[in-house]
Amino acid sequence: MTEKVKNVLWPMGFGILVIILWQVGVIHDALGFKPFQLPVPLQIITTLQNNFSKALSDTMITVSGALAGLILGCSIGFMVAVIAVVFPKWGYTGLSVIAAFNAIPIVALSPIMNRWFESGFAQKVAVVTVVCMAAMAINAYRGLSDLKPFAKDLLESYAASKRVIFFKLRLPNCLPNVLTALKINVAAAIMAAMISEYFAASTAGIGFGIKDNLRKGMMAMGWSYIVMAALVGIILYLTILLIERRTIKWHASQR
Amino acid sequence: MKKKLLALGLSVVMMGMVFSGCGTKSSETTAAKDTKESADTTKGNDGKMQKVNLQLKWLPQSQFMGYYVAAAKGYYKEEGIDINILPGGSDIIPEQNVYNGVADIGVTWVSSLMTYQAQGYELQEVAQMFQKSGLLLVSKKGTGINSPKDLTSKKVGNWFGGNEYEVLALLEKYKLDKNKDLKLAQQDYTMDQLKEGSIDAASAMTYNEFGLLLESGISKDDLNVINMNDEGVAMMEDCLFVNSTWASKNKDLVVRFLRASIKGWKDACKDPEAAGKTVYEVDKSVSLEHQVYMAKEVAKLTTPEGFDASKIGQIDMKAIKQTGDFLKLYNKDLAKTPVVDDTTFTSKYWEEATK
Repeated sequence: MTEKVKNVLWPMGFGILVIILWQVGVIHDALGFKPFQLPVPLQIITTLQNNFSKALSDTMITVSGALAGLILGCSIGFMVAVIAVVFPKWGYTGLSVIAAFNAIPIVALSPIMNRWFESGFAQKVAVVTVVCMAAMAINAYRGLSDLKPFAKDLLESYAASKRVIFFKLRLPNCLPNVLTALKINVAAAIMAAMISEYFAASTAGIGFGIKDNLRKGMMAMGWSYIVMAALVGIILYLTILLIERRTIKWHASQR
Repeated sequence: MKKKLLALGLSVVMMGMVFSGCGTKSSETTAAKDTKESADTTKGNDGKMQKVNLQLKWLPQSQFMGYYVAAAKGYYKEEGIDINILPGGSDIIPEQNVYNGVADIGVTWVSSLMTYQAQGYELQEVAQMFQKSGLLLVSKKGTGINSPKDLTSKKVGNWFGGNEYEVLALLEKYKLDKNKDLKLAQQDYTMDQLKEGSIDAASAMTYNEFGLLLESGISKDDLNVINMNDEGVAMMEDCLFVNSTWASKNKDLVVRFLRASIKGWKDACKDPEAAGKTVYEVDKSVSLEHQVYMAKEVAKLTTPEGFDASKIGQIDMKAIKQTGDFLKLYNKDLAKTPVVDDTTFTSKYWEEATK
């Protein structure tokens, strides 16, 4: 068997083993749980099937908020990095400010955004934006300023203007870093959107679904939402991976 | 390859040992707890104090004044009980704490209890403290919600997590579709959303949030109030419940606890001002005026007009059945129909305690 196929089959096999153990009840016996405290996979799947349309619409709401915030946050982060590179003397403080934002816990951000914005969607997008800005800003700054040795010197020896250096050298150079930041941000965006929904006014979305159902003791329904969130996270991450494979074929990591 | 397989096998064995180690630990502690409990029941007769953990549904406030008054006046001590009152909070779920043994007795709403019972949790109600529902839908006069019909195309707030069934029953009564005719919004634990106008009608308890609104300067004349009792969609709320397995091993303890608690509630309802003050001494984070206001309103729910005060805590099975019927209608994902009989709602401890 080829190396690639083996690399996929082993983890998949292990995952299937864990699910089988869960279904049969080994984990319940080991940790002393009753079936209603931890639903078995079959129960979760049946509940998900029965409520699929609601789960799907809630997932779409969360994902749309997460993606909107992701785009907005990454754009702002990128802009800050660009400013830091183009105006190195005073632009660098922008990065420090954004790094400070990164330290604010999401559970504190969410009630603040609830006060600032009225619509549930805006609240979600605001939280996700703040969360996504830092990773993108720092990674983009690294990519824009960490150039190959002598590359900048070469262009300057051709009397290239700063603008040309920026567009022909810095931008392509920062692509791998930007994609790394995107990979980090995609997971963070989904998480931030869900946590924001915990506190937001709207009653739609995965976060609200998980919180409400677990509080009421409807474990199977809560777990179905968790499954949807995991699926969405995986799909989005794989999308970024595919984009990466296409756009930076020349990079060492893709060989 | 062989070495790798050996390493894999060893790690699986280690994980298995860790899991089974955790498992036996929990069963060991439950086994130890069981022997301790049965030993305790005999100890109680020797005059030594038995520890009882009471899990409240929310933070210390006059909603639970009976227990605080009973503790302050030593009623629990008289019954040989060393009471430990555990405050609730936004992420504390009484049903799970009582089921797991973190607490022995808990306070919760009947609809929430029924949802857990339907899943299979062996929980049992032993007393019904609030005879009437205290839930209101409050709105500013300016929004023009003079009757529930006017809720169309408005934003209605509730805390959800099991507190929304009465509101859903109200909407159904007036043929309002909760997805199409209006918007349901999650409410936080303040009344700011109603005051700011981001929701039009807010859920409020007569004894708590409604008082908060009045204290913030809004007068009663500026508010429209929809009372769930008047609309006939009320569901039973604060009750006392236990883990039925634990209770069957500690029957005498439950009776003694109820006896002391009912005594405390009787005193509290007779003198709500003093009760409010007792609760204020426990937790000063809420003002004394608010605790006294809450105490007076809670007394109206525990001993409503025409209710014989000696019957505090009585379970009205008809009201419980109605709560169950409403729950079945409005919780589409309920595991099974709520069972309302002696296994789930028992008056035997209460009858023994009020003999």
